Amino acid sequence: MIAPAAIMIFLFFLMPVVLTAIFAMTNMSTATGISGGAWQVTQGAINRLKADMPDLAGGIAEPRFVIDEEGLAALEALKIKAGFSIELRTSHMGEVFPSRREAERMIKALKDRPSTREVKQISDLFNRSVLNTRFENRDGLMASLNKLGFTLTPAEQETVAAATYTGWVWTTENFKIIGNSPDMAQIFLNTAFYVSVTLLLFNVSYALFLAITTHYMPASTASIFRAIWLLPRITPVVIYVLMWKWLTWDSGFISMFMGQFGYPVKNYLLDSAYNAWFFVILINGFIGASMGMLVFSSAIKAIPQTQFHASEVDGASRWQQVRHVILPQLRWPILFVTCYQTLSLLASFNEILLSTRGGPGRATEVWSLAAYHTALNNYTGNLEYGLGAAMALVLVVVGIVLSLIYLRIFRYDTLISKPLIED
Amino acid sequence: MRILLDKFSKSFGSTRIIEDMDLEVGSGEMLALLGPSGCGKSTTLFAVCGIHRPTSGRILFGDRDVTHLPSQERNVGVVFQSYALYPHMTVEENIGFPLMVKRVAAADIKKQVADIAALVHIGDLLGRRPAQLSGGQQQRVALARALIRRPDVLLLDEPLANLDAKLRLDMRSEIRRLQKETGITAILVTHDQVEAMSMCDRIAIMKSGEIVQIATPSDMYKDPRTSFVASFLGNPPISFLKGRAQQGAFVLGENGLRLPLAALSGIADGTALSLGVRPEHFGTAGGVPVEGRVVFAETQGRENLYDVVLPDGSVLRSIQPVRDDVKPGDSVRWNLDSASTFVFAADGQRL
Repeated sequence: MIAPAAIMIFLFFLMPVVLTAIFAMTNMSTATGISGGAWQVTQGAINRLKADMPDLAGGIAEPRFVIDEEGLAALEALKIKAGFSIELRTSHMGEVFPSRREAERMIKALKDRPSTREVKQISDLFNRSVLNTRFENRDGLMASLNKLGFTLTPAEQETVAAATYTGWVWTTENFKIIGNSPDMAQIFLNTAFYVSVTLLLFNVSYALFLAITTHYMPASTASIFRAIWLLPRITPVVIYVLMWKWLTWDSGFISMFMGQFGYPVKNYLLDSAYNAWFFVILINGFIGASMGMLVFSSAIKAIPQTQFHASEVDGASRWQQVRHVILPQLRWPILFVTCYQTLSLLASFNEILLSTRGGPGRATEVWSLAAYHTALNNYTGNLEYGLGAAMALVLVVVGIVLSLIYLRIFRYDTLISKPLIED
Repeated sequence: MRILLDKFSKSFGSTRIIEDMDLEVGSGEMLALLGPSGCGKSTTLFAVCGIHRPTSGRILFGDRDVTHLPSQERNVGVVFQSYALYPHMTVEENIGFPLMVKRVAAADIKKQVADIAALVHIGDLLGRRPAQLSGGQQQRVALARALIRRPDVLLLDEPLANLDAKLRLDMRSEIRRLQKETGITAILVTHDQVEAMSMCDRIAIMKSGEIVQIATPSDMYKDPRTSFVASFLGNPPISFLKGRAQQGAFVLGENGLRLPLAALSGIADGTALSLGVRPEHFGTAGGVPVEGRVVFAETQGRENLYDVVLPDGSVLRSIQPVRDDVKPGDSVRWNLDSASTFVFAADGQRL
């Protein structure tokens, strides 16, 4: 019976991670496409070549004119004066002219005296420039270059091919970008700030506060409180965030209310990075607190009632009861919630996307949102799948490392150790 | 320290558990609250330690009115049926907990824990956690924790219910020893009459939220006030014969057994009666011969137990020294010690 579970794990967990890892090792983007590419000397390719091979780059950027069999055949097909092609074949076969001007000067000097219009017509037939020509394979590009008089060593050919290839290639460049870019560092810090503050203040502390206070309430009151704190979780996230927007928009409640005291109308959600963070953490914290509350509440319920009775007659105050009886027995639920919520905060960005879109500027851009923006939805329109996948992969690795650290901190091994009962 | 319950009542919502109970436990005395489950004995105990507040009435420790004091301020020690040890603390931390919450210096706690642990013989287990202890060891830890802050009152809620038979025997004498050595006033809640009789100075038998009788174990056994008390004490239990009064005698059925009893003088003829006969008062000794047929025989090693059906169908139980001449199905003619029987009216009151 292992097979079905193994297939499920493979399909829904391992495959996405493996695919992400594969994409992360490429430079796929909208520009490269996801299938193969072609070889094309674009202006961009020439710019890339300028650093390594300035002569070649300058050379292939210019148009080139070659008197060859192909051009002569085309000229004969035009059926203008036959003398042109005969003279070109006999006197100029194989000549290469680095520019249109030089080629046309030669054509003008032909014995049959072509008109200016004919000069243009003829020169076009011998234009052998590679600029912006698409070659379906590498050899085609190299043959053309050779014909134009560029003799390249294999190493040079390699450089030219790499610079002119339009498809995706295998690369580790994505990780260098992630490692070196100051933007990435800022997003990383944003993420660390967002995850740790939301987790500590709301998903754990506030959830513990709710669970413990409701534990000491009469049952009916407690269930009303818990139901209220479940609302953010139950409400569809789009509507929930929309309600926050109504609260914080320039025509929203806070703005209207502050207007009564003479404050100017403004968007409290996006007017400063400080405010944006404040609301982003509240929005996520209120959702996250409900889960911790439920987990901790049921864990407290699982503590036998007599332990509370015993600690009361032992003289423990409420606070001492919480500190010495409840909290130590919540170690495992706290580990679970911390671990689970860290991962879910790292990975989920829908609340931020719906509320601030990472703004103002990129102030609340977190890692997962940045990966989404990079790979799937950005303003410039060049979706960098490879870089986005690399960012996602970093997130997976960070998640695994954090989980391992948590297990160590909470001493997971002692939580599952067997008791040794004798007699 | 004396414990006094004065017109103590407790109800949960509209359910009245206990009404107007008066109870006094003398200083240094150990009293058993004995009764079937649901009789209100644990409710009474929880009210004394402050986990439940009385609906009305007063609770006094000595002359101090503790009715409205929270548990924390009552200075009581409680041993719960489940022991209620804190699973995440070591034995040492468990026992020291009442001192720790009082912010006693750590060195003092260590010393006192060592003393009390030696008293209950668990000095070598201080580093363990409750999950690593046997039931009896957990029981001792719970006792030590209850005793460490020298409480005015020790309350024991079915402390032996979770132990196996052999251990129960040991712990019975152990708890009694500790209670006597510390001279503490104690209340033991139990449904086991053997426990109550063997451990306590006095027994209060409870039924439906009321104390039916308070007496020393031997007085209560010899002189039960109601048929309920008589049936609750004694193992094997007492057997009852249903009959009528006739000219100062107890008569069983038509032309059946006839017992002249002093208690019946002045009782109108025809009054429905119930006669309680303890197994040890029916057998070889005694003055009134009774005929019947043995339907059940059981040997308990030192003694044999017989059920004898009388001609009218009622059953008398007999316990006798071991003999192997009687088998189920035999007709016997054994003697009944009429002076040791109890007569109860139809409502269960002793006559």
